[in-house]
Amino acid sequence: MNVKTSHPPLELGQAHTYLERVIVKLKTLDARQKQPLVEILQYISDYIGRTRSEICALRPTKDGEKFSSSTDELEEVVQETADAAGSIMTAAEAIEAIALKLPQPTSDELMAAVTKIYEASAFQDITGQRITKVVRVIQNAEKRIEALLCFCSDSELKPCGSGCGNHGTPPDDTLLNGPQTQKTANSQSDIDRMLAELG
Amino acid sequence: MNFDKNFRVIIIDDYTTMLRILRNLLRQIGIENVEDATNGTDALGKLRTLPFNLIISDWNMQPMTGLDLLREVRADEKLKATPFIMVTAESKTDNVIAAKKAGVSNYIVKPFNAETLRAKIESVLAVKAA
Repeated sequence: MNVKTSHPPLELGQAHTYLERVIVKLKTLDARQKQPLVEILQYISDYIGRTRSEICALRPTKDGEKFSSSTDELEEVVQETADAAGSIMTAAEAIEAIALKLPQPTSDELMAAVTKIYEASAFQDITGQRITKVVRVIQNAEKRIEALLCFCSDSELKPCGSGCGNHGTPPDDTLLNGPQTQKTANSQSDIDRMLAELG
Repeated sequence: MNFDKNFRVIIIDDYTTMLRILRNLLRQIGIENVEDATNGTDALGKLRTLPFNLIISDWNMQPMTGLDLLREVRADEKLKATPFIMVTAESKTDNVIAAKKAGVSNYIVKPFNAETLRAKIESVLAVKAA
């Protein structure tokens, strides 16, 4: 139900102040049954005050900007593992080139080892995707907290950024989940079976 | 399986390390003629310029995902018969079903090994030849 009023929307801080004024006014009244009402309103007022303090405490401090620095650090990890994987691949490619010049069975043995290195180097893709997923979650949380922090300012409540609300998410987005945990992931044989069943 | 030197494959992944892994593993299988792209849009441009015998694509890429690329390929008269293998970390049942509905030829879940890659390539090419 939409209640239309002629008053502009209140900030949390203003609402709290008004509530405190109402309580003060109520206390001056001489009505006998006002006490339970005063107690309830006082409880609500205290609750709003505490909530507001907790929200304001989320504001990044001078040594803070905690979320941004955390995501930066994680993005660095992705870059560093990519660089490391690149170095490993370069070394493996050099070994492969030498292996091709060697006699059997040494050549085959070295090639098998090089293949294992190539396969294992995929770790960078998997860890990169997992970290990127965490970075997105943190960035989303950061946007929500920034919106909450607007309650603490004296200005009008700022409109939410793109991270707020449902903006008509296309259905395909629900399929972009990245690597699954070992508990939930389908194995290659599970997928082969599914494909066979799907015809 | 022996591959003709003209057998051309396009590999698509937004992680350059994965492109390098695929290229190396394909070389070991005997496929030397490999083009790469880092997203679906880039790949589609190459697919419409050069003939390819096989598409090996990641799913999770921007601006065009592997699934969108697959749909574009299957909707294109000239490209629709090209075998398409999805190589992805997306291993949920819904993903496999969506890919199958879109016309994927086979599906490899990351991390994978050289033998799985070889087996899936041989499988899709056998189906195409049949």
